[in-house]
Amino acid sequence: MSDTQMAGAPPVQATLYLRAEGITKVYSDGTVALKAADLELHTHEIVGLLGENGAGKTTLTKILSGLLPPTQGFVTSPQGPIRFTSPREALDFGIGMVHQHFALVGPFTAAENVALSHERPFSGIRLAQTIKQLEELMEESGLRVPLNVPIEKLAVGEQQRVEILKVLTRDVDLLILDEPTSVLTPLEVDELFALLRRLRDKGTSIILITHKLKEVQTITDRVVVLRHGEMVGDVKTADTTTEQLAQLMVGQALDPETGAVELSDKELPQTSTSAPVDRSGAPILRVANLTSRGNTGEIDVDDVSLEIFGGEIFGVAGVEGNGQTELVESLTGLRVPISGEATINGKNILGISPRQIYRLGVAHIPEDRWQLGLVLPFTLAENAILGIHQWEHFKGPLAFLRWNRINAHVRELMDRFEIRAAGPSAPAKSLSGGNQQKLIVGRELAKDPAIIVASQPTRGLDIGSALYIRQTLTEMRDKGRAILLVSADLDEVLALSDRIAIMYEGKFMRVCEPEKLDREQIGLLMGGVSQEQEVAA
Amino acid sequence: MSWNDIVSLVRIALHAMVPLALTAVGEIIGETAGLFNIGLEGILLMSAFTGLLGAKAGGPYVGLLVGMGTGAFVGLLFSVINTYWKGIQMVTGIGINLFAMGFVAFGLIQLGAPGFHDVPIEAELGKVPTFMGAMSPMILVALILPFLVFWFLKRTRAGLMLKAAGEAPEAADVSGININRIRLYATTFGGLLAGLGGAYMSVAWLGLVTKDLSAGRGFIALACVVFSGLNPLLALLAAFIFGLFQALAEWVKTLPSKPIPGQFVSMLPYIVTLLVVSGAIGRVRFPKELGVPYKRE
Amino acid sequence: MSAEKKTLESRLLRGAHKTLTGLSPAIESILAAIVGLLIGAILMYIWGYDPWRAYIALFKGAYGGGYEWASSLARATPLILTAMTFSICLRSGMFNIGAEGQLMIGATASILVAYMALPTPLGQIVGLILAGTAGALWSLVPAALRLMRGVSEVISTIMFNWIGRWFVLWLTIFILRDPARAEKTVSIPVAARFPVMVRGTDLSYSIFVSIAFALVLYFILWHTTVGYEVRAAGLNPTAARYGGIRNKRTMFLSFILGGIAAGLAGATITMGLPPTYAIFGGALMPQLTNVGFDGMAVAMVGRNHPIGIIFAAVFFGGLNAGGRVMQFYGSNPVPLEIVRVVMGAIVLAMAIPELIRIIPAVKKQGTELFGLFKRLRKKNAPKEEEA
Repeated sequence: MSDTQMAGAPPVQATLYLRAEGITKVYSDGTVALKAADLELHTHEIVGLLGENGAGKTTLTKILSGLLPPTQGFVTSPQGPIRFTSPREALDFGIGMVHQHFALVGPFTAAENVALSHERPFSGIRLAQTIKQLEELMEESGLRVPLNVPIEKLAVGEQQRVEILKVLTRDVDLLILDEPTSVLTPLEVDELFALLRRLRDKGTSIILITHKLKEVQTITDRVVVLRHGEMVGDVKTADTTTEQLAQLMVGQALDPETGAVELSDKELPQTSTSAPVDRSGAPILRVANLTSRGNTGEIDVDDVSLEIFGGEIFGVAGVEGNGQTELVESLTGLRVPISGEATINGKNILGISPRQIYRLGVAHIPEDRWQLGLVLPFTLAENAILGIHQWEHFKGPLAFLRWNRINAHVRELMDRFEIRAAGPSAPAKSLSGGNQQKLIVGRELAKDPAIIVASQPTRGLDIGSALYIRQTLTEMRDKGRAILLVSADLDEVLALSDRIAIMYEGKFMRVCEPEKLDREQIGLLMGGVSQEQEVAA
Repeated sequence: MSWNDIVSLVRIALHAMVPLALTAVGEIIGETAGLFNIGLEGILLMSAFTGLLGAKAGGPYVGLLVGMGTGAFVGLLFSVINTYWKGIQMVTGIGINLFAMGFVAFGLIQLGAPGFHDVPIEAELGKVPTFMGAMSPMILVALILPFLVFWFLKRTRAGLMLKAAGEAPEAADVSGININRIRLYATTFGGLLAGLGGAYMSVAWLGLVTKDLSAGRGFIALACVVFSGLNPLLALLAAFIFGLFQALAEWVKTLPSKPIPGQFVSMLPYIVTLLVVSGAIGRVRFPKELGVPYKRE
Repeated sequence: MSAEKKTLESRLLRGAHKTLTGLSPAIESILAAIVGLLIGAILMYIWGYDPWRAYIALFKGAYGGGYEWASSLARATPLILTAMTFSICLRSGMFNIGAEGQLMIGATASILVAYMALPTPLGQIVGLILAGTAGALWSLVPAALRLMRGVSEVISTIMFNWIGRWFVLWLTIFILRDPARAEKTVSIPVAARFPVMVRGTDLSYSIFVSIAFALVLYFILWHTTVGYEVRAAGLNPTAARYGGIRNKRTMFLSFILGGIAAGLAGATITMGLPPTYAIFGGALMPQLTNVGFDGMAVAMVGRNHPIGIIFAAVFFGGLNAGGRVMQFYGSNPVPLEIVRVVMGAIVLAMAIPELIRIIPAVKKQGTELFGLFKRLRKKNAPKEEEA
């Protein structure tokens, strides 16, 4: 039973507000973000847009709010077809979006930020007028914010309120909020929801993007679920349960005809010997009570502890944005935690430089291969030695690089990892994503590490490369290495890991063998519903 | 040092301040919007020359106008190359400087003497007698303008848009602001002001054009910008201080006994700039996206 | 028969494609040079000159014969080095605009050789060492300011240019003055000079210093770990740091190398340029002025690569040398200042990356057109095949 029902369903004068048909979006690098998605929106309704990362939620709403054009498909309203070429046009039409990463200008105050989105450039800003308007709005909406402090000095929750106020000043008919509650305290969430209900009752259409199942139950009238860019479910909230939604989100379509979308055999690595993990000795990686702040200043890694032994793959699953990136950064020298311990074979790895961490035996396959993993204008060979370019084997007298030896090494890598490229002198940017990733994997493994931290290792790769990399990781595990695998691809994590942890809002919700959880439980955990709460409900 | 000397120094300083202040304020507008133009030196030089041409043709005011037009044109070119055509700002600036050097040297030859040319009296913007001696009315312009620009940046919506474009272009874009167009306006206007400063040098102050007339003033103006933290009022102050040092350098050269060689005094403005720039960092805050071209998706 | 033809055509096309892509950086430069020359021509035309004749005179003066080539190479000598200054710093991600000042200081330091009685080749060697060291020292402070206090190296190097110029002027007039002629410094003694390579021209053996240095830098950049780190730090400092590279140290090193290059450039002028082998103090120091700035243009046109820079320097040196001839040629000769205009225009053209979009666009058009021809031929040829 949802709160909405408890409060008594609003009188349904809902009319069609807009309809999106066949929306497909393909980005310039080839990623297919949306596949023929259809969506109907009515007035007086709060729609939850549910899905994992990469499902296409943000893309769809960016299209609706005028930031991106669809590659195919169109949007219509009862007044006729709609096509926006800029967010401004969408705003004029009545569609406003509150972004997950706020569209605010740091050094400006709240009042100035709002003034920015008003008309007429050469008006002296009547800040006084804007302030008055905002104060009225704050009364009405219950959102309180200091108006004369630079935004960058405000807490994230306050910043978000400014963002919402900014949109509200434009009197929108469709309000889109992208993961609004991720930065709010429970009290603030209640206030926000109360505001949303008031707006809904007045006739506003609202889209709430979220991956939190409880929220969906609490506030929405209808739920739309996206998975891998496709619409897999569109139901009234009252007619469904958290469990069903969890299933939809992670991969079993409601319709029995479509069937489950699990890793096919050809995507799974050949079964390894999979010997039981020997946990009798000391773990290779030991993390205790690790806590880190993220870029926004919030606690993104919250008291995380784990141990990884040799010969095991430890997988971290969860919707992106729950602290996985910050966890990896803390363990690979890119972020200094505020408390906790982490050691590799007994030696500390927190707060030291990447160079030192490499010396301690950590190899890292980074999440962002272009920023961290490769120097794109460099050749294959030059990238292959990044980090190991000081090896004695590669050096001659006077710091000369022995390119013949390096090239031989690279050719061997290309052979072993089936990297398809013109040769060691091919520029790295000419390689496909899959081959680039294989290059990085090959390079990192050449370091003969004690532990491999693999962050989103198969993201954006073709099936062949993805399979290859998974195979490699399994082989490394069989050879006795420890592997920390962080991936938003749930199927991958489940298939490869010996133990998994599900991360939500910086905490490990549950750590256990993957067999012990069924799909539904996983979905619930990823959505923030822990065991105890389940039982209580 | 007599009272007369001091008055004289201040007078010279005020005159020297004008091109620096105008150029610096113009660059502040451009940098606020996110574009870093080191071609200011070239703009000063070119518009000093074209200002001269305009003045010869139609009198001092025409000269100033032509100078402004030249500066605006170069500013426009700069911003088009670096926004719509996603060019490299540093390289463009260097190119402008090189081109200007050649253009002015070439042009001077066309006018007669290689290397310099006198501005005929009729073409000069006369100086006005005051209690401090003969001063150019442009000084007033240079004194008032920073206040206007300051008001503009802080209190109009357009000023906000400028800052947003330089600080957080994505946010501004989402609010419906056309980043490229804003940057275009900003740098064009910045160029216009620098052009006015250049024309002033030939038509209203020094009365001649040499192929080296700018003498690094464009770069000193940049230093003023750094010193000011993008505050036009502070830039005015910086410009006056540098003008003062230049005046001091001239004064020392006239002393019968030369305690310090003239060259060292000439060095002073640059040393001061260096000190200021080294010391000022940390206190000063620049737009986050300064010098970074903006792309949407 | 047609099958054979097809493979031949496709191979030709692929060959052309490959050459174009490989040469594409060079083509960009050539394109920019053409644009620059065009703009110069327009300017000449507006002011009533004959651009065509002027350019003929220019190029004949630059490359017309042995003497002309020697002249161009002589002008190219310091340009190679000052271009390397800008280039190597750019490789590590910084803008060193200070070649002007570093060159002047280096030149002045080399004059000190005049006070030592040194035999050849010790004289040259010591001169070079003094010059290189002085140049490096002059680049030290801006480098330190940038890396320790975040001060923009653009501003600090420019300030040091002016400080350096006044300082050198003072030294020239007061300290290193030639007692016989007040406006110049003492000359480099004959034993320490670089002998003239081609009699009757300006070209001395100092050009080998330039080329050698450029080649040394080439080797450093591409064949040593040090150079590898410099390039990585400039291209992707995040990944570089991640690969264990200490970015700050690397950037500092490249700045110093740049200073050495500029200092050496100064030495090639004082020790290699007849007839005076000294610094002239006249307010503008004509031999030393603008060599630094021109070097930046050379670096850009040379695509920031030592080999490209050598070619670009020869081109720019040719422009300068040819300009000197052009200014006396014909009834209405064009003043040589137009050369700087052309240089500036070339740099401006190089600032536009879109300029080179033309090439892939042309390639694409070419391929499309080609495909169109093939289809047309196929349509008209079915009978032949059957026969």
